[in-house]
Amino acid sequence: MDALLTAAALVFDLKVFWVIIASAAFGMFVGAMPGLTATMATALLVPVTFFMDPVPALGAIVTATAMAIFAGDIPAAMLRIPGTPASAAYTDESYAMSKKGELDLNLGVNLVFSVMGGMVGVAILIFCAPALAEAAINFSSFEYFWLALLGLTCAVFMTADDPLKGITSLVFGLAINCIGIDPTAGFPRFTFGSVELLQGISFIPAMIGMFALSELLRGAVSVDEKGAVLAQKIGNIFHGVWGVFKTYWFNFLRGSALGVVIGALPGAGADIAAWISFAISKRFSKTPEKFGTGHIEGIVDATSANNSALGGAWIPALVFGIPGDSITAIVIGVLYMKGMNPGPTVFLQNPQFIYAVFIIFVLANVLMLPLGWAAIKSAKQILRVPRNILLPIILLFCLVGAYSMTNSPFGVIIMLALGVIGWLMEENGFPIAPAILGLVLGEMLEQNFMTSMIKADGNALFFFERPIAACLGVATLLIWGAMIWKGLRGRRATLAPPNTDPAGA
Amino acid sequence: MRANDAINGLILIIFAVAMIALTAAFPEFPGQHYGPSLFPRVLGALLIICGGLLMWRGLAARRAGAPLVYMAAWTRQPWRVGSFFLMLVSLLIYILVAETVGFIPIAFLCMLALFLWFGVRPITAVIVGVVATLTIHWFFATLLRVPLPRGWLDAIL
Repeated sequence: MDALLTAAALVFDLKVFWVIIASAAFGMFVGAMPGLTATMATALLVPVTFFMDPVPALGAIVTATAMAIFAGDIPAAMLRIPGTPASAAYTDESYAMSKKGELDLNLGVNLVFSVMGGMVGVAILIFCAPALAEAAINFSSFEYFWLALLGLTCAVFMTADDPLKGITSLVFGLAINCIGIDPTAGFPRFTFGSVELLQGISFIPAMIGMFALSELLRGAVSVDEKGAVLAQKIGNIFHGVWGVFKTYWFNFLRGSALGVVIGALPGAGADIAAWISFAISKRFSKTPEKFGTGHIEGIVDATSANNSALGGAWIPALVFGIPGDSITAIVIGVLYMKGMNPGPTVFLQNPQFIYAVFIIFVLANVLMLPLGWAAIKSAKQILRVPRNILLPIILLFCLVGAYSMTNSPFGVIIMLALGVIGWLMEENGFPIAPAILGLVLGEMLEQNFMTSMIKADGNALFFFERPIAACLGVATLLIWGAMIWKGLRGRRATLAPPNTDPAGA
Repeated sequence: MRANDAINGLILIIFAVAMIALTAAFPEFPGQHYGPSLFPRVLGALLIICGGLLMWRGLAARRAGAPLVYMAAWTRQPWRVGSFFLMLVSLLIYILVAETVGFIPIAFLCMLALFLWFGVRPITAVIVGVVATLTIHWFFATLLRVPLPRGWLDAIL
């Protein structure tokens, strides 16, 4: 109770309030601009949050991402271009609604169900995280080794349509992470005599490169392409939303619950939650033939799911230090920078920070209603900001952000190198998220692997001796088995030459 | 630029072999079987397996008629290729000369070049370039105290 009061005092502070409002506006803008993602918003925020206290820093990230995921729905409905990948699943459906003249209802439903989905996500986070933390307090290096491995395995299993490229991307991320002083013996590896490489690849410039710079490079080659803004006046967006809720309340609950689960699985975030819940909505709908003609049902599922996934992703991030999506992967980096190393002990030592995160999550979702309304009303102005002005400014922002993490051009070098690598990887069908996860979890995996190996003296059976470790280990091995089996069966299908252009430019 | 998986696989294998070769110089500790070279070697081995599978798949696709390298449509339009490289070159210029010239002149010139290349009207480009450079400088250097390089303007700032 004490901790809760301390947390409230930390959050309800005028300075924190302004940070939250500013990051909400930032999140809305980034989310609504096609080509700028919620992950990018987070990566760009980190250099700024670096100089803040822990609570406003986390508040800024929580608020900006929640807003960005909702705001992505606005250009989806108005331009048929998703503002963030999380809205891609139902972009066509939303646009079809707009063409039927139901733009108001669509935006209203997207806003209200995003808020409610977000609330469900927070509720489950508040309920599950402390309980899980209590169980996790007894974990040894064996459990953490398997957890990290299971997390990485999930990431590959969930994100990649092509598991082989997913694994390759993951191992590549882990390999990059080996640069620098090794965690058990303290020997500098792969530094080639460079003093700056001793501390390893700085994580935040790497993220800015892989998620923001590669996106900017894709944007630069199609800078003159525009979608046609629907010439429709926006009226009362809340009209008819209650009717939708009465008809589709079950879809809302199902979408939100699914969103939390998928969000909590490492590697899969809001975008995959939206795709899966949209597909499930169609599969179990009484009127599947209406899907694709501007039908609200699937949108209810998916728009709830992508916002609830945000809360879900924080569960493994806070309890185990294993990110649930690419946003929490950055958050974990921030937590370490703030000296509150994620894991069960943070619940014991700094419960006020955990509660503060919960409070901000609720606050952000409440704030989303008026701010989202304002964003919808001013959407036409936001969407009119020309991309040829925006791209160079964001590039400068990335540059300064990367620079400020190392206070030297070294950060910019890392950003440039990994940005080009990230761009090449996406072009060639290697997903980026597993590589980032490898970079985040690499040290934890190696440290626990080495400690366990030394404890067990190389005896593999030791890895299965403790009951929870055994369960986790068997689960990991089963998923591997399933993947290999799938890989062998699907081999024929992948032999066809790929001739689609992923950049679409 | 989409390369055949055989090329991707080959690059990965070269990378992995180089990584394993470098671990040969890592020290062993007496009485300790597992040193700093173990983890990179495991990863290197995994990368070689992945690279091998990719090569095998890529060669099969090659026999089925897939091209070795597929270039996206924009690579045949010089203006777009220019946009792509101008983004990278401006970062490279910053890395090379920012410490001597300073943040403000370099940032402004890079912005101006990009704006003009992207077809922003010159007068707008100059105004936005100045405002954006000074705002970002104020935000990071003054507010957040990031030591952005001062360079030529050291005497004034």
